[in-house]
Amino acid sequence: MIKIMVCAKRVVDANIKVRVKSDGSNVDIEHSKMSLNPFDENAIEEAVRIKEAGNASEIFAVSIGSEKCTDTLRTALARGCDRAILVRTSANIEPIHIAKTLKQIVLREKPDLILIGKQAIDDDANQVGQMLAAMLDYPQATFISKLELNGNKIIACRELDNGTESLEVTLPAVVTADLHLNEPRFVKLPQLMMAKKKTIEHIELADLGISTKPSTRLIKAMDGEIKKNCIMLEDCTQILKILNEVT
Amino acid sequence: MKTLIITTITNGKINQNLLPLLDSAGKICDYCDVLILGHDLAAAANEAASINGINSVLTLESAALEKPLAENIASQLSEIAKGYTHVLASADSFGKNLMPRIAGVLEIGQISEIVKVVSPNIFKKFIYAGNVLVEIESLEDIKLLTVRTSNFNGKREPRAESAKIVAIAYNNLIHPNIKWLSSNIVDKSVDLSSAKIVISGGRSLGSKEDFDTHIRTLANKLNAAVGATRAAVEAGFAPNDCQVGQTGKVVAPQVYLAIGISGAVQHIAGMKDSKTVIAINTDQTAPIFEHADYGIVADLFDIVPELYNQL
Repeated sequence: MIKIMVCAKRVVDANIKVRVKSDGSNVDIEHSKMSLNPFDENAIEEAVRIKEAGNASEIFAVSIGSEKCTDTLRTALARGCDRAILVRTSANIEPIHIAKTLKQIVLREKPDLILIGKQAIDDDANQVGQMLAAMLDYPQATFISKLELNGNKIIACRELDNGTESLEVTLPAVVTADLHLNEPRFVKLPQLMMAKKKTIEHIELADLGISTKPSTRLIKAMDGEIKKNCIMLEDCTQILKILNEVT
Repeated sequence: MKTLIITTITNGKINQNLLPLLDSAGKICDYCDVLILGHDLAAAANEAASINGINSVLTLESAALEKPLAENIASQLSEIAKGYTHVLASADSFGKNLMPRIAGVLEIGQISEIVKVVSPNIFKKFIYAGNVLVEIESLEDIKLLTVRTSNFNGKREPRAESAKIVAIAYNNLIHPNIKWLSSNIVDKSVDLSSAKIVISGGRSLGSKEDFDTHIRTLANKLNAAVGATRAAVEAGFAPNDCQVGQTGKVVAPQVYLAIGISGAVQHIAGMKDSKTVIAINTDQTAPIFEHADYGIVADLFDIVPELYNQL
């Protein structure tokens, strides 16, 4: 039986269109609906399936950020995690700080498997899992669409640009989830009620002795979407004409 | 300032994305070394040495690096990185797996998927599935970058005299807890990331059979690569590596033909830099038309066979 750590990043909901502040200083997300990062949902779902199959003794979830992350952790608990840890900070943290923080939690909790989303849908960085694995000198099964636990080994299928590859990693290890890993279940009311009874431990990031010195500085944010003036065509011949012109 | 590009080989040859990587490195400074890692590198090293814009070609060669797992190379690469101000790799499955591991070893920040070099310290990249473009300054002494190569120029420039090739001895620090077992590489006639024409289909194709008959056949005739939306991939119409979008591939072909695709922001993120976008959809209010240069409101099951027959 293994112990699994999952993460729960609080991000702007995937269905919300994020806008840039009028002065271009940053994105405007103050009043946006927030959700659990979809990739973390896949990671949590996989952890829960491992536990349901009788192969895990415990799943704990970690979130790093403001007190509001307790909502995100409640969602993770409702999805089947047993307990949660909130590492509280008001600092603007980057992937490198998150990885350093998670490393401290790993050293304290000693999970066998760290199962997290391959990226977060806000910064789309795709870095934390690899950074954390490096800091712990653990193997990293990244961008995983299939996972099979066999004793203290995992056979994982990694998504590549032109196919997939199969890896065998020995625990302890970091696995980062692709969206194709599974279909997260719907959470029902009884689970939401039960989640309220589970514990969320609070830790101050400052107490972990981690520097949050920024590695980047945001200069300006711009609207990334360029709308085009679409010329409407009437028939196939016109499509062909354009294809011939542009190729 | 000195830049280092880290790359691998495919079938004994240098990866095509080396050229756009060189273009991005050239916008940072005039000095660029290229490190090629893998097994049997002689041909690729010679090939790289003949490309203009490279100071030295470094090879990190070992039979153990036939499959260059990040676990087996990140520690040595992070030592090598200390001799440079910028380290670049392509934002593909190799670079995305490796670069953050190097950053983790060095315990410094990394910047993913840059699309523009503004200055040696300042880069542009997208966040929020491409909804927002940011200009950010790196505050690290060593800037670790992955590059969205479709945003840079892939022109090969020859040179009079070859660059020197320097072999670096592999430190043989092989991680005991990861083993590469096998791969399932789909040999595509046309590579999605570098294709001139991409034909993509969405969920409205309805079935794998119809996806194949309509999208694949048309793509074959046009010598185009096949793309798909996440919905189409999840429905099993096309394999995962055909997925274009925030979590799939980012493409920027000459022509992007979007067939039966509504245009979710996650999909737009993967194709909006295409030169010419042509959309076919029955719903004239579909968001894809806001991102298309040309559109036609029609049933794909009528228009695609007609198009095929007229080609």
